[in-house]
This record gives sequence, structure tokens and C-alpha cells, in this order.
Amino acid sequence: MTLELRAALAVARKELQIVRRYPLQLINEVAQPLYQFLLPSLLLGATFYVGGRAIGLQASAGTEDLAGYLFLGMVVGGLVAAVFWDMAFGIKREMDAGTLEPMWLTPTRPETTVLGRALSGLALSLLASAILVAVGILFFGAAIAGALLAAVPALLLASVSMIGVGYGIASLVMVMRDPNFMIDATSFTFSSLSGVAFPVTVLPAFIQPICYLLPTTYAVDLLRYYALGTRPLLAPGLEWAALVAFAAVSVVLGLRVFLRTEHRMRVQGTTGQY
Amino acid sequence: MTPDLIADLRAFGAAAMKEWRLLRRYPARMFGFLFWPIALPLAYVYQARGYAGGSQAAVEAFAQRAGTAEIAGFLFLGWAAYMWLSMILWGPGTALREEQVRGSLEALFITPASRLVVLFGPVVSQILWALWMFAVVGGALVLLYGVPISPLAALRAVGVVMVAVPALYGLGALFATVVLRFGEVGALVQVVRGLFTVFCGMTFPIVILPEWGRALALALPPTYLIGDLRSVLLTSSNLVSLAPSLVMMLALGIGLCGFAIVAFRRTERFARRGGSLAQY
Repeated sequence: MTLELRAALAVARKELQIVRRYPLQLINEVAQPLYQFLLPSLLLGATFYVGGRAIGLQASAGTEDLAGYLFLGMVVGGLVAAVFWDMAFGIKREMDAGTLEPMWLTPTRPETTVLGRALSGLALSLLASAILVAVGILFFGAAIAGALLAAVPALLLASVSMIGVGYGIASLVMVMRDPNFMIDATSFTFSSLSGVAFPVTVLPAFIQPICYLLPTTYAVDLLRYYALGTRPLLAPGLEWAALVAFAAVSVVLGLRVFLRTEHRMRVQGTTGQY
Repeated sequence: MTPDLIADLRAFGAAAMKEWRLLRRYPARMFGFLFWPIALPLAYVYQARGYAGGSQAAVEAFAQRAGTAEIAGFLFLGWAAYMWLSMILWGPGTALREEQVRGSLEALFITPASRLVVLFGPVVSQILWALWMFAVVGGALVLLYGVPISPLAALRAVGVVMVAVPALYGLGALFATVVLRFGEVGALVQVVRGLFTVFCGMTFPIVILPEWGRALALALPPTYLIGDLRSVLLTSSNLVSLAPSLVMMLALGIGLCGFAIVAFRRTERFARRGGSLAQY
């Protein structure tokens, strides 16, 4: 167990080392969410201002702090992106480079290498989120209260759940030849349905039940509840319970699917194909 | 027509056909051309719904600033332009970069075909995809939101798209030149696309930008494309009333294409002298 953990940390360190070699890409981790999501969303929000106040957002979410609402959403958006792109799509990069099969021939378990990638992705996402929240507070007037710290465990629980989801998505990546669109579309849909950009209560009634099946919905809701005092979707106690349950179930389920897929690929001899 | 010109036209046709074949070989990308024109703007429509919060005053504030109360139409058209732009930015630049990585760029440049074929060859197939994407957006607006789009308005929109072609592909060619010079695609696309997203009014009317932001927006061709598309499809403006904006877009297009051709030639000369065509 200790050896596997060390291997996971070594993979994470390797991934972070690669990222450090591309400084422009590193800057983009922070800049991209800013100019591709946050600024267009803030400017759209400003178009609805009445007398300089976000009265519409107050009615739908329970806060007038548009910047705080969006920057906190982006924290969870970053978490989703890390799991889908760094953890799951990372396998595709190994496949393209032809290093997946040799790596899986080492005594380290395949799920450990995937976990290592998840750890580096989550660490990067955490760093980018911290910088983004600071930017939100300093430059956009996001009044995110100190109570934000109370929601940090919610983020940790959501991260554990998302690792389970990541194992499931990684299995799909392994069997698909061209998973770019799948990853792009599912990660976007996952973020959208989690309420990263808007309150999920504005979605059509038949879609809303899906939102309640995503751990990230509760994470973003609790984050905003503690930091901005928004109206929670459910009683906070229930949301915490849901997060704990998701964390327990999704890792077991995701890992199971991943191991079965990996076993099938070994039997069929398709590990080196892409 | 001189034999050289005929040969170049044939090479141009072959380059367009090659791009078309590449697009057809990846059916998953076809889903993308159906999914993104609807999913991306739809997310912003729900965001706008959250911002409105059922408040009439908030919706009126939007209508006053945007010049239309058609929120879905406003956002769908803005994002359609964004996606076309993305296609252009990823297209020629990435194609050159891929040739460079595969090691076939130097071989391509040894052929007697005009460099303009390399730069503008992919345009034809991409225009078809752009028209397809605008058709998907139009269909979604009519079917999902009941936005009335008459055949005449649709034709006017096609006219606006055609006028925008030189400007947008000039930008794409200029971008390809930068890629050839610096050998970087992904981060550059994100930065340039981000600049357009923030200033060209894809999700908002540019009147809410500060004065310097508006001045910058008016120097960027996509601002005119988005504004004109919204005018013809959402407020039934005719092309004559948009003449100043269309002329501006055309002028920017001619300028950008000319600049791109000169820059590309200089970059090619630089790359040949430095032997960097085959390096990456």
C-alpha cells in the first residue's frame, strides 16, 4: 500500500514537472477560465443589472454578488476539468506516445498511475482556483466571506467522488479511438449540470433530477451557501450526507469499471492500440 | 488563364478536397458540429435566465442595452460566430503545425504550388461547415425558441457571412503565419480566442464595455460579424442599412488578407534561411 502511494506520488510529481516545462500552458490554467468563462459571464450578468444591482440573481440564487457566485462556481468547474482532462484524457496521451503498455508492465498497478495523474491534476486545479478566487476578491469585488473555509471539506469530498467518476471516464477513453469530443462534451455537460455557471433551478424540470445525481452540485451549492449565503438546494445537512455517500460509492464503482476494462484490454491485446 | 494559374486552381481544389476528406474520416467530429452549436449557447441561455431571475426589470435592462429582447437569439448568434472563429483559428494554423510535426511541411513547400494554396486551401470545406453550423443554430432558434427567421432574413445572414469570409480567413492565415514562426498552437489559439470572446460581444452588447474596450472591439472584425448577424436575424434590418458596417468588415478583410500574405512570405523566407521548416 505504501509503495503504491509512493508510486502515485511519483507519477503526480512527473506530471507536475512536465507542466512546469510549459510556462505558457501554466499561465493558461488561470487565464483561460478567466477570459473564456468568467469575463463573458460577468459581462452578460452586467447586461441584466438594474441600477447597478443584480436583482435577477438575487431572486434566483439569493445573492447579488455576481462575481463571487461565478468565481466560486469556477472552483468546482476546475475540479471537473482536472478529473476529465488530466486524469481520464491523460491515458489517451500515454496511448498516443506508445508508453501505456510499457507502463502497465511495471509492478505498479494501472489504477495507481491513473490516481497519480488525478493527484497532479487536482493539485494544479486547487492552485489555479486559489489564484482565481484571489483575483475575484481583489479585482472584481467578490465579497467571499471567511466562512468559505467551512466548505473546504465539501471540496475534498467532491474530489474523492470525482476520482471515482474519473476512473469510469478513463475506462471509456481506453476503449474509444478518438475520445476528444466525448471528454469535451461530457466535461462541459457535467459542469453545466452541476450549476457552475447558473442556479440549477432554472433548468427544465425533467433535467433537474440529473443535477441531484452529481456530487459536484452539492459541493458548489455548499461552497456558495457558506461563502455568499445563497439559498441551498437541500438542507445543508442532507447535502453533506449526499457528498459522503457519493464519495464512498463512486470510488468503488469507478475503480471496478476501470479494472474490468483494463483486464478486458489485456485479454484482447488492445492495450497498445489507439 | 495562364497554365500556372490553372495549376494553382487545381492545387487549391485538391487542398480543399483533402480537408473535406479529413473531416469526413472522423465521424466523432460530426457530432461536435451538431452538439456545440446548441449546447454551448444553451448553457448561456440558462445563465441569462438565472440573471433575469423572473424579474421584468432585469429583462428590460437587457433589452435596452442589447437592442433586442430576444435573449436566446442574441446568445446563439454570438456563440455561432465564436465557433466559426474557433474553427478558423484551429484550422490553417493547426494544419501547418501538423504538417511540421509529421515532417511533411518541407516536402509541401518544395512543390511548385502557390503558398496561397497552403494558406487558403482549407477555406472551402470550412465555409461549408460554417454554413452548416449557422443552419443548426437557425434551426435551434426556430424550433426551440420560436424565433421567426424568414427565408429573406436567412439569405441576408448568408450575405453577412460571405462578407465576413475575407476578414476571418485573413485572421486565420495571419494566425497560421505566427504558428509557422513560433511553432506553438494550443496556447496561442486560447489567448486569441479569449481576446475575441472578451471584446467582440459574443455574450453581451459592447455598449457595456468601457470606452477603451469599445474602441478595441470596433477594430476587431468579429464584432461587426456578430452585430450584423443579430441585426438581420433579430431586428429584420436589411443589408443596405448595414452598409457602413459591411464595408468596414470588407476593408478589414482585404487589409488582413494582404497583411497575412506578406507576413507569410516573409516568415517562409525566414524559415527557409534558418532551416526551421522541418524543426518543431
